[in-house]
Amino acid sequence: MDFIVAGFIKALELLISGDSSTWTAVWATLKVSTCSMLLSIGAGLPCGFLLGYFDFKGKKHLRTILDTMLALPTVFIGLAVYAIISRQGPLGDFGLLFTLTGIAIGQTILAFPIVTAITASTIENIDHDLKLTLVTLGAGKRHIVTTCLWEVRYGILAAAVTAYGRVLTEVGISMMVGGNIKYHTRTITTAIALETNKGLFADGIALGLVLIMIAFIVNLSLSFLRKQ
Amino acid sequence: MTKTDLAYHLQNIQHYYGNTKVLDINDLKIEKGSITGLIGPNGSGKSTLLKLLAFAEKPTRGHIFYEGHRVSAFSSSIRSKVTLLTQKPYLLKRTVFENIAYGLKIRKDKKNLENRVKRALLNVGLDYQTFASRKWHELSGGEAQRVAMAARLILKPEILLLDEPIASVDTESAGLIRDASLKARDSWGATLVIASHDLQWLYSISDKQLSIFKGNIFSTGMENIITGPFIKTNKKIFVKKVGAGQVIALKAPVPNTYTAAIIRKENISIALEKQPDKNRLNQLSGHIVSMLLEKKSGHIMAAIAVHDLSLILRLTPDQISSLDLFPGKKVILTFLSNDVEWI
Repeated sequence: MDFIVAGFIKALELLISGDSSTWTAVWATLKVSTCSMLLSIGAGLPCGFLLGYFDFKGKKHLRTILDTMLALPTVFIGLAVYAIISRQGPLGDFGLLFTLTGIAIGQTILAFPIVTAITASTIENIDHDLKLTLVTLGAGKRHIVTTCLWEVRYGILAAAVTAYGRVLTEVGISMMVGGNIKYHTRTITTAIALETNKGLFADGIALGLVLIMIAFIVNLSLSFLRKQ
Repeated sequence: MTKTDLAYHLQNIQHYYGNTKVLDINDLKIEKGSITGLIGPNGSGKSTLLKLLAFAEKPTRGHIFYEGHRVSAFSSSIRSKVTLLTQKPYLLKRTVFENIAYGLKIRKDKKNLENRVKRALLNVGLDYQTFASRKWHELSGGEAQRVAMAARLILKPEILLLDEPIASVDTESAGLIRDASLKARDSWGATLVIASHDLQWLYSISDKQLSIFKGNIFSTGMENIITGPFIKTNKKIFVKKVGAGQVIALKAPVPNTYTAAIIRKENISIALEKQPDKNRLNQLSGHIVSMLLEKKSGHIMAAIAVHDLSLILRLTPDQISSLDLFPGKKVILTFLSNDVEWI
């Protein structure tokens, strides 16, 4: 028990003193997860809208595939992205392996089905009277789309936060595609895994605290936005 | 009536949801500047008809002419002219101001927005200072209905379609919605089509009433629809039990696949005492439950409860005074078994 308490104390010291290896991992995590979130929202929002709003042939199959993708293990995504961006892979020439961009690609693949599926469900559950109301108030297609999205903004925010939580806490992709290179591709989660293996609990706890703080701030921001 | 006097002309309209026919209208004309009331039970097709008139749904078959021109559903040319207030109006998750201004904003018509919102709120009896900044969830059912009405009135539409506008509001709100509707017609010549179960309210506002049942418009004005179950006493007579030992005997339909009977109000006589037994004459004892003044004709629509069945009669002021009729009075209704139409 003592080593856990000592770990907490050391963790606070590391964070307050601005330990470079700790803070570069924090910075790398924020950079890569924000980037992958923006990409997955950019792609997942319109796809989720189309999937939730329109009825078309094959929609059911598409939903099944999407739901399966929700359960994709991060190590599998890591493996797939590794295979594609490694020297021998189709995107090998771009030199993306062991870079933050490589991790962002993997995390985008991880977050995309979450954003798409939750957006689609939110759109599907829109009050049937909303579209009728908009049409009878004179709204054209563009206004119907933008107003519908605005009406379900909290559902979409929830999708983004859920996906962000998943991206922020994954280890498999960051470890396999990023390689856990200190001061370069080391993220909070890969650092925690490494430090714990080395028996350096304080470093692990410090990074864990930061991770919890980020999650707390994101949820607090969402709660604030909802009140607005 | 010239073509341009008509707001709507519906021709051979049939509308289906899946395999179920929900509307079947051969020919319906609605004059410009008129207020038409739609009467009918739940599921009779009133809301569907209003959606078609709002061009928010495309009829499965048939054509709708607007001011003499054939218009298709969702047409952009018509969107700014016709508006529908649905039974359960959806308020956007915004403030009252934003809800009312929405229609104008998407038309990029933002001139004097605040004053226009103020006037629209005033038209439905709501104070701008109190309500403009309120959020959608801070309104009562009646207030939400009036805000939704204001959101339509601000657009000054040529056609205002109202689906059960007073279903969930108090008497005061109902009066305000009636006044606002009449003002829309009087101020800018709007044509109104209103579906409502509140006959007293509907008769106080509309120039003409259409009865709709099972998707068919079968008369102007309220008619008596008697639904089953019917007991087949023999091949020629169907009997409907109305409670307290009273029965209605009706000439059987041919073929006998029809499920409801219409007894037109002009075929029903009213008296204070039963007549000596006559063959094929139905004589029902009931009480007057309400009397409504028909605005245009001066006739009185009397609703008579015969146990759990309600029948409507159209009476002249002379009949009312000679029989000394008033709500609560016991009366005898008589009509022939042959005077039935099956639908």
